[in-house]
Amino acid sequence: MRQSFRFIGRSTPRMDGVAKVTGREIYASDIYLPDMLYARVLKSPYPHARVKHIDVSGAERLGAVVVTYRDVPDVVYCPRLVSTPEATYKDWRVLTGKPLYVGDPIAAVAAESEELAQRALEAIEVEFEVLEPSFDPLESMRPGKPLLHERIRYMGEEVEVENNIACTMEIEQGDVERGFEEADVVLEREYRTNRRYHCQLEPKTAVVRPEPGGGVTIWTTTQSIHNTRLLIHEIFGIPVGKINVVKTALGGAFGSSIQTNIVVPIAVALALKARKPVRLAYTREEDLHEHCAYQMIFRLKLGARRDGRLTAGSLEAILDIGAHQIQAYPLLGCLVGWWVSLYKLPNLRYVGKAVYTNKVPSCAMRGYGNPQITWAVESLMDELAEELGLDPLEFKLLNHVGLGDLFWGQGPTVKSIIKSSGVEELVRRGARLIGWDKRPKPGAQRGRYRRGIGFGRGFHTSSAGAPVPGTVVDYTGAMLKVNEDGTLDYVTAMMDCGGGTLTAHAKIIAEEIGVPLECVNIVRADTQTTLYDVCTHASRGVYAGGAAALQVAREVKRKLLELAARVLDAYPHALKIRPDEERGQGVIYVEGVEGREITIGELASMARHKNWGTIAAVASVRQGSCPPHFTAYFVEVEVDTETGKVRPIRVVAGADVGRVINPKLAEGQIHGGFAMGWSMALLEDTPYDPRSGDLLNKGFITDYKLPTARDLPPLEDFQVFFVETEEPTGPFGAKGLGEGALNPVAGAIANAIYNAIGVRFYELPITPDKILKALKGGERR
Amino acid sequence: MKIRFKLNGREIEAEVEPNTLLLNLLREHLHLTGAKYGCGIGECGACTVLLDGEPILSCLTLAVEVDGREITTIEGLARDGELHPLQRAFLEEGAVQCGFCTPGMILTAKALLDENPNPSEEEIREYLKGNLCRCTGYVNIVKAVKRAAEEMAR
Repeated sequence: MRQSFRFIGRSTPRMDGVAKVTGREIYASDIYLPDMLYARVLKSPYPHARVKHIDVSGAERLGAVVVTYRDVPDVVYCPRLVSTPEATYKDWRVLTGKPLYVGDPIAAVAAESEELAQRALEAIEVEFEVLEPSFDPLESMRPGKPLLHERIRYMGEEVEVENNIACTMEIEQGDVERGFEEADVVLEREYRTNRRYHCQLEPKTAVVRPEPGGGVTIWTTTQSIHNTRLLIHEIFGIPVGKINVVKTALGGAFGSSIQTNIVVPIAVALALKARKPVRLAYTREEDLHEHCAYQMIFRLKLGARRDGRLTAGSLEAILDIGAHQIQAYPLLGCLVGWWVSLYKLPNLRYVGKAVYTNKVPSCAMRGYGNPQITWAVESLMDELAEELGLDPLEFKLLNHVGLGDLFWGQGPTVKSIIKSSGVEELVRRGARLIGWDKRPKPGAQRGRYRRGIGFGRGFHTSSAGAPVPGTVVDYTGAMLKVNEDGTLDYVTAMMDCGGGTLTAHAKIIAEEIGVPLECVNIVRADTQTTLYDVCTHASRGVYAGGAAALQVAREVKRKLLELAARVLDAYPHALKIRPDEERGQGVIYVEGVEGREITIGELASMARHKNWGTIAAVASVRQGSCPPHFTAYFVEVEVDTETGKVRPIRVVAGADVGRVINPKLAEGQIHGGFAMGWSMALLEDTPYDPRSGDLLNKGFITDYKLPTARDLPPLEDFQVFFVETEEPTGPFGAKGLGEGALNPVAGAIANAIYNAIGVRFYELPITPDKILKALKGGERR
Repeated sequence: MKIRFKLNGREIEAEVEPNTLLLNLLREHLHLTGAKYGCGIGECGACTVLLDGEPILSCLTLAVEVDGREITTIEGLARDGELHPLQRAFLEEGAVQCGFCTPGMILTAKALLDENPNPSEEEIREYLKGNLCRCTGYVNIVKAVKRAAEEMAR
């Protein structure tokens, strides 16, 4: 039975929207404080080197405050605090005397103006001993190659690094050899992904103000104010209570601020030394040297019987993680989780290796490895279906992990059972809308422009919740209090990266209690006044954060009804609350008895006058699973065989996100996911110049191809639909969406290109060069 | 150097260096942080403001260049607390996600609608191509500009 809702499922503008369209929203990079110093960072010009000598006296003579790797706490840390110690390797220092990539911070200065800071930076003299770098993980692993890190830290102990392998994971289930023997068709391919850059519009920034008594206040680009706080405590030893990280709006992140960005500890070190507020705002070029997505090499093998059943799979994954571990080990676990949760593999083997290279450190980027492996799997499944003479849709539906199946979610330590799935309907409806039956035969077309339709499906977890503790921290705190006029203050540490997460929370609260949406005030909060929230990542904002919002709303409602029962001389269970738009608040009434009612404001005021106390609730909520939200993409492309350019013609995108909370914003996630997937498949990469060891684009986004408004399909040719399911563990049945919106896109596009020109590509991005070369060579594997 | 210019309808005077960028003048000295720094070299469009009604990149414009002229920033678009139709449309269509590109995007769109009150979808996409957005895939942004054009024509 479909419930009727007042707010859930209806499109409402985001609650921070007016501030954002009027330029009044404050982002971390908008913070300027009185008497503030501007910081600049001295970075390594070499990809691998040792500082032999550093002289900062020139900078100090200019009046700058300077810190070098010799002045910062001797603490080795991991900037991401999402995993438990069992799953965390530490190899970072605030500043380094042994730079491991071009752009690795060595020293930093703060001065009264940005110009003076830059002059001071240029007055620092450094002598380097240049070491041999490696830019390719396969090369980096070769015995005898210089080690980036000789020792790293794990669980408080030092561990030796061998052959630049940061960490490994191996998993085997069933009998893989026998599984492949049972197969009628076995395909094995090697896939190589691109090294993408998040290009969140707001470059990483930290503003730090030292406080009397030894504390600091921090404004920064972060997806987790509490983890930022805990990391600064870990590095600098400042008592947690004296570190206050203030929530600001975030100009996008896509995973690049799950970890505390390096600007934060550098700015803290400078502010503590200067005893003045310090602002460290990265330029775009610096930001491009701060983070990127994980580049991966897969050797993927799948076997299936003639009847279409998969019999076995093996995956060897090599992750090029760059110079440091941010979350390489947990990623090895998630990667196998994403892989085995797409299609049922009765026998499987997985070997994952994360390898250090002298490149910018890699971190999660929307999907955390899922877009990479889903591209490979969706490509190979398409190829395998063709070999078997089956329709890829039927082949995938037959093998997919769905309702009632065991789901590995966030890796081997986070397993649960799937309780809601709209996969079948997503695939069937999408196929009808795109005209799947009418798609051309692969490679059958001639002529300059050739069109093809491709299909890709996928999922992502909603949160990293699990029935057991596991190795991932995942819970959210929330507070809700009733004000004397019937409005409510909602206090959460959770960040809204742009998805409308907190607006969804407000809708959940308004729906549950029965107040107009405008009554819910999202409080500008900070770490001192909020309960812990792990992070806005893993598509957990609505599913996990929303569950906390729902819990406090339920509790507040219970208390409201209890008090109202006294006042109205009725039983709590006979009372209802309706949102009264005219009075601008909720009204509590006795159902069926006219005139017996009181507004929430009147009740809250009475509670004050009668000294009953504040009506409020507080909760810290852990979700017991991380249900997959599912997506299916059908994409039609046109390949220009003379220029090699690919143009999007039509997109049909379906999503099962459980119950949809805010349709327009949910659609927006799909639109953005497609755009990011489009450029993952075709445009984005950050190659290195082997001579300088620097990024070939030197940090300029002009040479980092992002789609513009012109490059995406027309409005009428981009169709989004939702298949609503009811996730029993989600708030009002809701699941996540942010990452599933991206994961299958590159696979769908690669399959569409194959359908158009009959060529498969095993390396991303699929550039015009590669297409022309393949067409010229008549290559068809 | 002293410069005088009209900022969001108000005459103002400012003391600037010859190399002060308009973006820095607005953000750091006049406390109007609606124009954003996204790249500093004209790649992303987040710093867009209107100079005599024309969209310009304030990160590439010297403050002295605006002497005697008129600047509109996102803060000056709503009049008497009333949102501009573009602002309303961006809200209603879900064209705002992280919001960092929004001020530049809205001002560029305003220049478009001032020039061409009834643009086709293609013209909208062409005009907005210099403003990068990483969240929306531009879909709801294009929808919002169309909607605002329709509303303003009424």
